[in-house]
Amino acid sequence: MSTSVTERPAPPPLPRRPGRPGRPGSRTTRGREGLWGWLFVSPMVLGLGLFMALPILMAAWVSLLNWDGQSNPFTPDADFVGLQNYQSLLAEDGLARSLLATSLRNNLYYVLLTVPLQTGLALTLAIIVNQRMLRGRSMLRTTFYFPSVTSSIAVCTVFLFLFQGSGAVNQLLSWVGVKGPNWFQDSRGVLWVLLDALGIVDGKPGGVLAEHTMMGLPFSEWLAGPSVAMCTLIVLAVWTTSGTFMLIFLAALQDIPRELEEAAALDGAGRRHILRHVLLPALRPVMFLVTTLGLIGTWQVFDQVYVLGQGEPANTTLTPAFLSYSYGFDNAEFGQGAAISFILLGIVLLMTGVQRWFLRERGARNPLAKLRKGARGAQD
Amino acid sequence: MFRRSTVAVTACAVLVTTATACSSGFDKSKNGPEQDSAKKQSLRVLIATSGDAETKAVKKATAAWEKKSGHKVTVQLAKDMDQQLAQAFAGNRPPDAFYVNSDQFANYAKGGSLYAYGDKVPDADDFAPQLRKAFTYKGKLVCLPKDSSTLGLAVDTDKWKKAGLTEKDYPTTWEELEKTADKLTSGKTTGLVTTNEYQRLGAFMKQSGGWITDRNETKMTADSKENAEGLGFAKKMLKSGSMKFAKQVDTGWAGEALGKGKAAMIIEGNWLQGAMKLDFPDVDYKIVPLPAGPAGKGTLAFSNCWGVAKESTHQKAAVDLVRHLTSAKEQLASSDAVGVMPSRESVMDDFAKEHPESKAWVEGNEYAQGPVTVPGFTKVLDQFNADLQGLSTGDPAKILSTLQRNGEQAIKKGN
Amino acid sequence: MRRTDPSPTATDERPVLARVPRPARLAGYALLIGFALLYALPFLVQLSTSFKTDPEAASNPLSLLPQAPTTAVFEQLTGSGDTGKDVPFLRWLSNSALVTVVVTLGRVLFDSAAGYALARLRFRGRAVLVTFVIAVMAVPPVVLLIPKFLVLNTLGIFDTYTGMIVPLLFDAAGIFIMKQFFESIPREVEEAARIDGAGVGRIFWYVVLPMSRPALITVTLLSFQGSWNEFTHFLVATQSSDYETLTTGLARFVSGGLGAGTQYPLKLGAALLSTIPVAVLFFCFQRYFIRGANAGSVK
Repeated sequence: MSTSVTERPAPPPLPRRPGRPGRPGSRTTRGREGLWGWLFVSPMVLGLGLFMALPILMAAWVSLLNWDGQSNPFTPDADFVGLQNYQSLLAEDGLARSLLATSLRNNLYYVLLTVPLQTGLALTLAIIVNQRMLRGRSMLRTTFYFPSVTSSIAVCTVFLFLFQGSGAVNQLLSWVGVKGPNWFQDSRGVLWVLLDALGIVDGKPGGVLAEHTMMGLPFSEWLAGPSVAMCTLIVLAVWTTSGTFMLIFLAALQDIPRELEEAAALDGAGRRHILRHVLLPALRPVMFLVTTLGLIGTWQVFDQVYVLGQGEPANTTLTPAFLSYSYGFDNAEFGQGAAISFILLGIVLLMTGVQRWFLRERGARNPLAKLRKGARGAQD
Repeated sequence: MFRRSTVAVTACAVLVTTATACSSGFDKSKNGPEQDSAKKQSLRVLIATSGDAETKAVKKATAAWEKKSGHKVTVQLAKDMDQQLAQAFAGNRPPDAFYVNSDQFANYAKGGSLYAYGDKVPDADDFAPQLRKAFTYKGKLVCLPKDSSTLGLAVDTDKWKKAGLTEKDYPTTWEELEKTADKLTSGKTTGLVTTNEYQRLGAFMKQSGGWITDRNETKMTADSKENAEGLGFAKKMLKSGSMKFAKQVDTGWAGEALGKGKAAMIIEGNWLQGAMKLDFPDVDYKIVPLPAGPAGKGTLAFSNCWGVAKESTHQKAAVDLVRHLTSAKEQLASSDAVGVMPSRESVMDDFAKEHPESKAWVEGNEYAQGPVTVPGFTKVLDQFNADLQGLSTGDPAKILSTLQRNGEQAIKKGN
Repeated sequence: MRRTDPSPTATDERPVLARVPRPARLAGYALLIGFALLYALPFLVQLSTSFKTDPEAASNPLSLLPQAPTTAVFEQLTGSGDTGKDVPFLRWLSNSALVTVVVTLGRVLFDSAAGYALARLRFRGRAVLVTFVIAVMAVPPVVLLIPKFLVLNTLGIFDTYTGMIVPLLFDAAGIFIMKQFFESIPREVEEAARIDGAGVGRIFWYVVLPMSRPALITVTLLSFQGSWNEFTHFLVATQSSDYETLTTGLARFVSGGLGAGTQYPLKLGAALLSTIPVAVLFFCFQRYFIRGANAGSVK
């Protein structure tokens, strides 16, 4: 999924201590060092500039064009349309806006379900694997972590097979007497499925909810919840990411001073008490870290969508990332596609900003710096 | 701070100017690239194959041309034709010759990616006029139609007999279709299987007298009563369970459902024949015309053409290859292998004679509706297909009014 | 009893509380085994299905022992079987291998050089560069799909190996890991070398790098895994099937192909083979992977 920053900028270099050993004539040494420094970073500066910074500038320009990919967009002949691409996505009643709204709806539910589930599961697994009495700890850890290292495409292929209409999952369900849905073909929102099963609504609610719309999408669609197909993507995400987050929790758990637990035990505290009043508070910063990493990552789901249906069924697995790709590469409307990716960039940067802001607010310590130290085995 | 930002801004400016100044990847010369005139050229051909039968047929035909011309051909199979072609055109690395689907044709022709070679073909008049019209842009025949197909109803004859039905019971009206589908649905078999796209379900709209646009494709006619009636009928069958989409029965397309015995009847086109012969040779089936609706018979027609890229450096060789591939002899050969109908009128009679089993498809030509070819319409039709996926619980009128609105916007934007 | 820590440290392994009563413990183990199965079962099903025939995979998707085991899938993938099916697996494999090897070597070199400069060398603009690296890490890769395509195209390296490899060589997260590590090395070591008259290049190459083995291994493994599993970049950087890798080839094969039928044993077999290299590395160097997971990059 994503690579994210969890580290604040390093403090500026310390001023040179006067009494430090160094050779005389430090000016030339410094000049030399500067030369070496630029020599060492120049490939990186060039590479990141060329393949990270420049693309964004180019895409910003293309998002202001009506460009079908069949001409050169960087000439004066380009069909400049100003903010029209953004306007049709956000302000005009039409296909572009309702597609964007659908994809935002889908991704929002994906985030809302995936993040708590993966965090909760990862925490549970970490606490279990951290039990000192447990046999086969490292084997369990390997098992839980393995899905995280394999290729998302390979894993999706397996899920596609498992969740077929007459596939392994439904066969398992049939043993306990449940008739599973045709997962990847089922576009019904789970909320309406549940309410239908309880007899509260019949199929899909009509009336007020169906008539009023927001961003071109009726409220009955906004409220429908993730479709059954989207739920399989959520299961997949939880399954593949919980291992990584488990490791982050595990490192933090092993960093908690043993004395804390022992003191609580001496006071006569039970297991549950220690968990609630010793472990969980100590894990708070890491919990926050994992949650925000999850928030950032889940807004970027793409590979899974590409393999597991490309938006089908009925656009209920469409996400902004895939919509941007499909506008660009399936429809050759690159300007519109670039505009969507900037909207997505805004969302992700907002999440990253929130994370940074909170980590800064929480102040003193950066949880990960501590973790890393722990991982290095430096017991301080 | 001032210094830093100046440095950053200068760096960006330098990057952008250097990068765009030498923007080789996008530049196209006015009259196309300089042509390769070597004796032995290497051509890339990209096809969207309907299955192994078609792949083999194309490879065999190109191999024959290789021998004749001395050039070399690499046939590549597109897994996602639209995406791969769009990327290839934008990246200025198009294959030399490739399939162009009729619903994408207008986009590519408008963007100037196709080399219009119609005037280099002396016997172009032999190709069926309605097909030539579909691949003409601004009065010029751009590419030669590869073949043609129409939709028919394929019936599994074994299941038919087992259900106690005879040849007289082949459905000719909607009511009969509904009744027989009901009768054939049992256990793992679904009466009628098709795919959730307008390229199949649109036939119902046609049979009730409607269609997405008017004849000249300048006005949307999607929200008509006739269209709603057509989709309403499909919805009724979907709801009753006697009709299902291919993916609902765990298959990739309807042909697979027929082959695997999951469907008793399917709506498919000529390509079905080649695929069945190769993948499921033991399944007996018969093609009958699609049942008539309230407005009479209706079916849909499909075609591809052989596009040659404007940016190809082997245009002459590519045109020669295409002429070979669309020659009477090769068309008949590929008809035998794949099942599609020839695009040359002079060969059509031979085909009908040699393939009496395809009679229903051939007859379909008389009343078939061609695809929508408005530039910029792909997303609109994709959305329609996505909406059709939820047809069994959705409201046909609502789906159609969304299509109407989206289509009107696209037409307005395109002009 | 391994900690996340590669070096064995003496940790107190005695439990804080007394043992849980036996029935509860058994129930706990049962639950745990259930969990573990949930994580392992998909891979086991994948393994067994790749030895099944198409009809068996469809009729009995869950059984772990194929009734009539067949290696047809692997023969087909390695080219010794029916070639008409057009799954150029060996081509995908060699493309993936080529790209991965070059990218891994390049990344280790560039990451450690840049990481060292940012951690230790004093030069003008360093603070700006650190901020730049952090800013770059915050850019989500999926946002760059169309932008990257534009750049590759502009530079004329779209649909080439150069276009596949070069943009992957620069990886902000790896630079960061190396920078963190170099900052943890005591300065005295370098100072001693400097007094002996060694220049920056020599110190880096002969003194610092040999000390950095653990970090280098971590970055190597992360780069290998990252570029082997890379999908979105190859998707937009290439178009023709000559440049398909295991990920793009498999993804297109699995998601597209009308009329190709479901062919699940073949798909799962291809996915299985493509997982093996990373799996082998994972089981051999697990602790470095774990360190990588904790080092600020979350895959």
